[in-house]
Amino acid sequence: MIRTIVNDKQLLFGILGLIFLLLVAVLAPVIAPEDPYYYGPDVLNKLGENGHLLGTNKMGQDIFSMIIHGTRTSLKVAVISAFISGILGMLIGGVAGYFGGQVDRAISEFINIFMMLPTFFLILLIIALFGNSIYNVMVVIGITTWPSNAKLMRAQALSLRERTFVKAATAMGESRLQILFKYIIPNGVFPVIANTTVGMSNAILTEAGLSFLGLGDPNIISWGQMIYDGKAYLTSAWWIATFAGIAIVITVTIFYLLGDGLNHVMNPKRSKGKGV
Amino acid sequence: MRKYLVKRLLTGLLTIVIAFVINFLIINLAPGDPIKTLMGKESDDPVLRAALEEKYGLNKPLHIQFFSYLKTAMRGDLGISIIYNRPVADMIAEKLPATILLVLTSGVLSLIIGTAMGIVAARKEGTFIDVLFSGFSYILNSMPSFWLGLMLIIIFSTVLNILPTYGMTDARASYTGMAYVLDVIKHMILPVGTLVLIEIPMYYRIAKSSVLQVTNEDYILTLRATGMSEKKIFNKYIFRNAILPTVTIFGISLAYLITGVSLIETVFAWPGTGRLVLTAINQRDYPTLMGIYLIMSVSIAVVMIVVDIVYAILDPRIRY
Amino acid sequence: MDNVILDVRNFNVTYVNKYKKVYAVKDANFSINRGDSLGIVGESGSGKSTMAMALLRLLPEKSTEISGSAYFLGKDLVKLSEEELKKLRWKELSVVFQKSMNSLSPVHRIRTQVEDIYRVHNPKATREEIAERFIHLLKLVNLSDRVYNLYPHELSGGMLQRVSIAISLINNPKLLIMDEATTALDVVTQGQILDEVVKMEKEMDMTRIMITHDMSVVATSCNKVAVMYAGEIMELGYVKDVLKKPMHPYTKGLMASFPSLKGKKEKLQSIGGFLPDLSKKYEGCIFAPRCSSAMDICQKKPPVIEMENGRTVRCHLYGGER
Repeated sequence: MIRTIVNDKQLLFGILGLIFLLLVAVLAPVIAPEDPYYYGPDVLNKLGENGHLLGTNKMGQDIFSMIIHGTRTSLKVAVISAFISGILGMLIGGVAGYFGGQVDRAISEFINIFMMLPTFFLILLIIALFGNSIYNVMVVIGITTWPSNAKLMRAQALSLRERTFVKAATAMGESRLQILFKYIIPNGVFPVIANTTVGMSNAILTEAGLSFLGLGDPNIISWGQMIYDGKAYLTSAWWIATFAGIAIVITVTIFYLLGDGLNHVMNPKRSKGKGV
Repeated sequence: MRKYLVKRLLTGLLTIVIAFVINFLIINLAPGDPIKTLMGKESDDPVLRAALEEKYGLNKPLHIQFFSYLKTAMRGDLGISIIYNRPVADMIAEKLPATILLVLTSGVLSLIIGTAMGIVAARKEGTFIDVLFSGFSYILNSMPSFWLGLMLIIIFSTVLNILPTYGMTDARASYTGMAYVLDVIKHMILPVGTLVLIEIPMYYRIAKSSVLQVTNEDYILTLRATGMSEKKIFNKYIFRNAILPTVTIFGISLAYLITGVSLIETVFAWPGTGRLVLTAINQRDYPTLMGIYLIMSVSIAVVMIVVDIVYAILDPRIRY
Repeated sequence: MDNVILDVRNFNVTYVNKYKKVYAVKDANFSINRGDSLGIVGESGSGKSTMAMALLRLLPEKSTEISGSAYFLGKDLVKLSEEELKKLRWKELSVVFQKSMNSLSPVHRIRTQVEDIYRVHNPKATREEIAERFIHLLKLVNLSDRVYNLYPHELSGGMLQRVSIAISLINNPKLLIMDEATTALDVVTQGQILDEVVKMEKEMDMTRIMITHDMSVVATSCNKVAVMYAGEIMELGYVKDVLKKPMHPYTKGLMASFPSLKGKKEKLQSIGGFLPDLSKKYEGCIFAPRCSSAMDICQKKPPVIEMENGRTVRCHLYGGER
């Protein structure tokens, strides 16, 4: 398995990147030079001024420390929303694909309609109206992004349904629910996992977008929040918004690499080269 | 073909209705209401509240509110904004053209540029151009749109000072005719540029993989065996077959733009419906919110239907 | 020599990539006369399709090395430029491929594609001319003329294959190569199509190369046969000779592995062992590891031994050194 990882550049960098992010998040208090919540006397310092590597903002917070701690928020948001979205998608898609017939038709229509809804605004609405705590954000993203996972799971379930070992289980008298949870879902889950990395990227971007619109959780350090703060100081203190954005770009890229790498591992067919 | 059309229209209609119902429920079941905003944060005079609720029909049961809204909406009357005391339809009509300008321009430009890049990368697979474009696309894909907008402002407005920072027109001058058009275009460059850069990766990926896949198909080999010129094979056969997924992506892209444009409108202070929605959300201006959401849902549904129909025209296999 | 349509000498095809070379076709030699129908038989991976594609120069130029000569109507196919090849393609030499479902562009009508293909060599032809010509061909393959205006997905596999055959004949080529063209079809359709092809051949004075893994196809529709194994031609000769008295141990093995419809029930026989790794060069006979008649001398590569009546065998059992 190590060899497969090393051979596929994207998977390799994705996993290395993920490890890097996890380390930063876990070791944040150790790595960050200051407490990000410390409203110090150095206000709007430029890069490197007074020992602040990336400067400070209006409240005297050290930007570098904030970015380090922001990693925790982003990873939490990514993982929890993707988890909720994945579970919902797996269950709904699995039921649709495995049970088939009317159930499948009804659920598929439901999935299609859900996919056509303007979800970003739905999220905006819910957050605006129900409160902007970070947990609300995570839950809302999770319950609005499950359709793509459901479609993948459904396709898997449809094909797994015809496999011999599933038919054997049915013949042996196992109940449909048992088969669903014992065989269909565990075997079909892999593409959903790969898709989940895309979901994680989107979750981070969505949370950033919400924060940027002022609908984020102001009590939490988040990169999106930093960009929101930085907007007012764009011309005078450009570093407040810039580095937070770069952190987002790096993190999202890592998740995409991870997703692409996982997809390669699952589908070793290469489209390059025409052989006979 | 006809059956397909009808089915699509019905699904579209159903989507709009459901979106609407969900929206209505969320808005009305949420904490906070416009009355509070109207009355101001301090006072909570019950008599005043009762009077205001009566005026805006907010004291009737939910389902009655829903149907009366539907009834008037069908006639084109989207209600009166509780906060601004103007017809919602008017407010939307004022701001909509600015948003449509951004959405359509960005949509079409990103389609052309992204698809062209994808085709070039596919034909020159493995070369430096391919690697360059792919890397570029990857990074763009990871950027938050609003952050990119801010960075572009820093570069082009603050540092280089060649493009305006905000707004659709220069408020101080009052241009007319050609000068007006040029002024608007000048203000459009950064917001449209941001949106186009954000959308390009989607088109790039699909165009590149589609061209690669089609080029490896059996029928292309057959055509080559007939001695047909590469140019003709590419322009007529590869292109026509590879362009199909791009059509679908165009629909998705427009849907994304219709909703995502509000972030860009905020960054660039562009006077469109996106910003209107945000203020309406903050002020709990129900009628305005409902009105815009309705327009958005309808637009997205229409776009999807049109895209599906165009796809069916281009791909004869779908019609059956 | 006017009677020889195709003369292949010392033909080699090697796939080259970053890591290794794969010797797909080694030292092939054969010639086809006008009116012949040569069946090239072999299992999957024997190199038969590779040889056909290489003759037509349809393999990716960057990763393929071709050497030797293949004289077609006086010109060496191996050495021709793209321009000169294009002049020959489809006009004198055409192909029918195997995977029929995807052999035509799905978003264009058959009519459109036929017109484009015909106009490659006859740019000024009118729609009516082309239609008339093609509908005549459709009749030959037993299809109704309404097929002309349909889309590919509206036809069944068998119909599409017939359309592919009709398209391959549109310029009355001198040589037609059918690469596993009936493999994807059911036996009944296959039989019908083969009958039609044989009939057409007589009418159109055509020569054919039939590539297949199915000996029965060769038996019913070809007059000459070449047996290929691991990129080498093991045996070559007239069908009636080879089938009645196969000489090469591999050919004997192939014949024995086909169950017979008549006679008593026998156990199915197969040839033990596996295909050799084509990226390695072999000192001796490439079939020796699997051959029940292998001798010491088989450690040396057997020469091609020419027998009477155009028969050749690549085997030490029939001559050369002992």
